[in-house]
Amino acid sequence: MHGDGLQRYTPQLVGAAAVFAFVAFWEAAAAYKLADPIFISSPSRIASVAAEMWEDPDFWRDIKVSATEFIWGYLAAIAVGIPLGLAVGWYKQLQYALGPFIDVLNAVPRVTFMPILVLWFGIGIWSKFAVVFLGAVIPIILSTYSGVRTNEARFLRVAKSFSASQMKTFTSIILPGTAPYIFTGLKYASGRALLGVVVGELYAATAGVGHMIAQAGNAFETDRVFFGVLLFTFTGLVVTTILAHMEKRFDRWRPEGAVR
Amino acid sequence: MSSRSITDIYQHNERAVIGAGAFAAFLVLWEGFSRGWWAMLFEPLLGESARALAIKPIFISSPTGVAQQAWTMFAVTGEIWPHIAQSGAQLIVGLGAAILIGVPLGLAAGRYRTFSYILDPFLSALNATPQVAFLPLFVMWIGTGFWMRVLIIFLLAVIPITMNALAAVRTVDPRLLKVASSFGASELHTFRTVIAPSALPFILSGMRLAVGRSMIGIIVAELYGSATGIGIMINMAGDSDKVFVGVLVIVIAGLLMSEALRAIERRYDGWRPVIGDNT
Repeated sequence: MHGDGLQRYTPQLVGAAAVFAFVAFWEAAAAYKLADPIFISSPSRIASVAAEMWEDPDFWRDIKVSATEFIWGYLAAIAVGIPLGLAVGWYKQLQYALGPFIDVLNAVPRVTFMPILVLWFGIGIWSKFAVVFLGAVIPIILSTYSGVRTNEARFLRVAKSFSASQMKTFTSIILPGTAPYIFTGLKYASGRALLGVVVGELYAATAGVGHMIAQAGNAFETDRVFFGVLLFTFTGLVVTTILAHMEKRFDRWRPEGAVR
Repeated sequence: MSSRSITDIYQHNERAVIGAGAFAAFLVLWEGFSRGWWAMLFEPLLGESARALAIKPIFISSPTGVAQQAWTMFAVTGEIWPHIAQSGAQLIVGLGAAILIGVPLGLAAGRYRTFSYILDPFLSALNATPQVAFLPLFVMWIGTGFWMRVLIIFLLAVIPITMNALAAVRTVDPRLLKVASSFGASELHTFRTVIAPSALPFILSGMRLAVGRSMIGIIVAELYGSATGIGIMINMAGDSDKVFVGVLVIVIAGLLMSEALRAIERRYDGWRPVIGDNT
């Protein structure tokens, strides 16, 4: 089905052309004052602000703070979410007990808790760590749980007939069967974690890229705002691309019927 | 049946019993921290350090405090209703606009390949960005009023709706499309009779995701400005009882809306192959 030569890359070429046209139009709109550059900025202004900020130690401090919040919150969510999801999937009673709490937390955007988290943990890094953790842990628990639950009953019966121990069943059947679901959960969780960083820093912060965006917004520095937003876009794209690749790798094992 | 023992009854209702028990335990634990029950209980054992188990109600509120505050705000002063009305109006306008724009956009991108090539880079980039980062920009553009909040809700909601509508068209049975074109059906006719019906269930799941996203929009957009709205109420509450009442309203609204959409989805469930459900 693949056409040869250029035809194969039609989607990428058309996409690139569209992006290029968009950037060119944006630049022209600013250059010819179709709209005030104070409001819409322009690609070249953003590029020059980016070059300027590259040299600015404050900017690197913001990056460091945001990265710390993201990485630690996300890692803590993984460390708690995967074992908890496995346990909830494996022990029926635990699922009955924790199910209502997980469902309720899943139904509300966890950023709603931001005011309470600030009250508890202050405006420093800990309240962001908490909101990132809360945002990311729920999708990880839920998809790990549904991964355990969709393990093929046949395999479990075979394991039982051969009187495999619980431990053995768990490590040789449940874990490998659950891995693809875990990666799906990790992918969604990364988006939630990034959202937590932004909301936490917009809400109340003293440093971080979100804080930088908020301050630049207050000062009408549109170029800096756009640059900050692009940083988040870039981070989001990189993280989801990596996780999507991992997900695809593990996807090959997934039994046909269970593909969601 | 008459001889059902307690254990039988338990076995039949295990889920409900354990669930309700865990929830009740949580409420008692919470109330106890706030009222210092646990501090009293453990004082003989732990001595002075047991004091740490009594947490000031201003920090954690308490179930009874929240219930009392909710009663006051809903029934006595009625002060919560304007907040709910304001946030509800923003939600309806933002979500409505997202549906009106997202569904046709997604359907078109699903149907016309070249258009999807054009749309795709923008859609993926927007999807990967935490869209709330645009908030300061929107504030610069249109201030902190009603329309700014509608805009952020719209932006959050339009992406899952568009993406699901796009995926929906891709799942239409190609044989049906072939039949339609062999019989010379017009494009509009094909859309109405072949594409729309089989796409509908996916579009509905997109809307369910969008409802969740727009709740984020309500909370985040109301970080700015100081008029009315549930998010504003939460931010300006000053005491934790009010904060929890606000959170509770959001929880209930979110559960109700996603349940309602799920019920509509279930009606069409028979038709559709299951695809991704990103919470």
